[in-house]
Amino acid sequence: MQIKFKVNGEAREIEVTPFHRLLDLLREDLGLTGVKEGCGKGECGACSVIMNGRLIPSCLVPAPQADGAEIITIEGLAEGNSLHPLQEAFIETGAVQCGFCIPGMIMAGKNLLDENPSPNEKEVRTALSGNICRCTGYTKIIEAVMLAADKMDSKGSGSDE
Amino acid sequence: MKKKGRGLATIMFGFGYGEGFPDHSIASIEIKADQRIVIKTAAADVGQGVITTVIQIAAEILRIKPDYFEVIQGDTHTTKNSGSTSATRQTYFTGNAVKKAAEDLLANLYHYGSMEFRSNHPEISIKDGEIYLYEEPEYSISYWDLAAKLKDKGITLEAEGSFFPVTYQPDEKGQADKVYVAYTFLSQVIEVEVDTDTGIIDLLNVYTAVDLGKAINPKNVEGQIEGGTVQGLGMAVMEEQVIRNGRTLNAGMSDYLVPTSVDIPKFKHYLIEDQDSEGPFGAKGVGEPTIIAAAPALANAVYDAIGIRFYDLPLNPSKVKKALEEQDNKN
Repeated sequence: MQIKFKVNGEAREIEVTPFHRLLDLLREDLGLTGVKEGCGKGECGACSVIMNGRLIPSCLVPAPQADGAEIITIEGLAEGNSLHPLQEAFIETGAVQCGFCIPGMIMAGKNLLDENPSPNEKEVRTALSGNICRCTGYTKIIEAVMLAADKMDSKGSGSDE
Repeated sequence: MKKKGRGLATIMFGFGYGEGFPDHSIASIEIKADQRIVIKTAAADVGQGVITTVIQIAAEILRIKPDYFEVIQGDTHTTKNSGSTSATRQTYFTGNAVKKAAEDLLANLYHYGSMEFRSNHPEISIKDGEIYLYEEPEYSISYWDLAAKLKDKGITLEAEGSFFPVTYQPDEKGQADKVYVAYTFLSQVIEVEVDTDTGIIDLLNVYTAVDLGKAINPKNVEGQIEGGTVQGLGMAVMEEQVIRNGRTLNAGMSDYLVPTSVDIPKFKHYLIEDQDSEGPFGAKGVGEPTIIAAAPALANAVYDAIGIRFYDLPLNPSKVKKALEEQDNKN
């Protein structure tokens, strides 16, 4: 079947079967390999993307469901050479080790900050709790999301105070 | 009722393969005319940061910003043996190999620099990628121009370094002059809160002091401590592989629980830089030592909180609850 949807702001039209997962559609058909497959069972969060404003595990979503949807992946965050504040914050805090969970972590962080621009630490921890990381012990990832919230807050208000 | 407890554990960890195994690493560095310095090492960076570490080391020795470096890593077609990324050894072994290559290269910068200026070693200086006459700094040549000039003469501005320390196999009593190249020491205090109604252990604070010789990249070191400790705490309180008749019954992320962002404690780190003479800038390995103290420190903290000694892991809620009930029945 033919489906139409938007990925990272770009309109796409593609032939899929009901047996396609959104994950395969993004990785294999569109080459968006920033979306990672971890467990393939919706438990680890590595394949998280934002679809119609909701954080979803793309391994559990049948591709046809993307028809008419608007999807954001890690590839859609940077603007040209300028990184998203979340990406900057992950680098600055040293939150990345092997990196496999990071695209999912950043999407979970973005989903939180879209809804709640100035979360407290507990809210950040809860928002990231569906994403498993084996390397970092989460501490610097939590720090990174808090830092990104600060960065985006000061940008939004247009002041350096 | 919630009861707080605090426990301590201290470990030592001999790193590298040790025990007489031929453990070594070889690296090379080339300064290219196109403003790149290329380090070649087979050392695999799996996220621990060895690439960052070797760039820092080479940049320090070669007196130039890290921005110019690029690393060809983990490709056996283009690199020589660096040994495995295991045994907490890459900073020490490949760090030293890269340091030696960089020192050789620095000496050659002086050598070819003095030829360029028809001068002697003491009369030239090297700083920020420039070789210049000490007394007349306006006479200078960049690494890149020097590399280009040498290339015309068929000379490549490159150097290779290797590190191959000796260790000995212990005798039947476990004794030898040097079983491992060096030892990393780590002490950890862990604070917990045990809920005596549910048996759930809350992880509150972890204080870690590690004697690592020298923290070449403190942020990476902290990342190793936090990651290793959380794995150790996972083993201590929740990770249990259930095997029946040779089959793992919980081979999945929903029934083999690992820590998530809501489970982890707060951290405070103390990096003790008591330099080891043989490590690069005195550094020692810090990867695996970070996982070892967590479980014993936690078990000690639980004992401090509820007065019960556990001898097998994990201390999951049902095990803790059962032990509390047995303790109640005795009293």
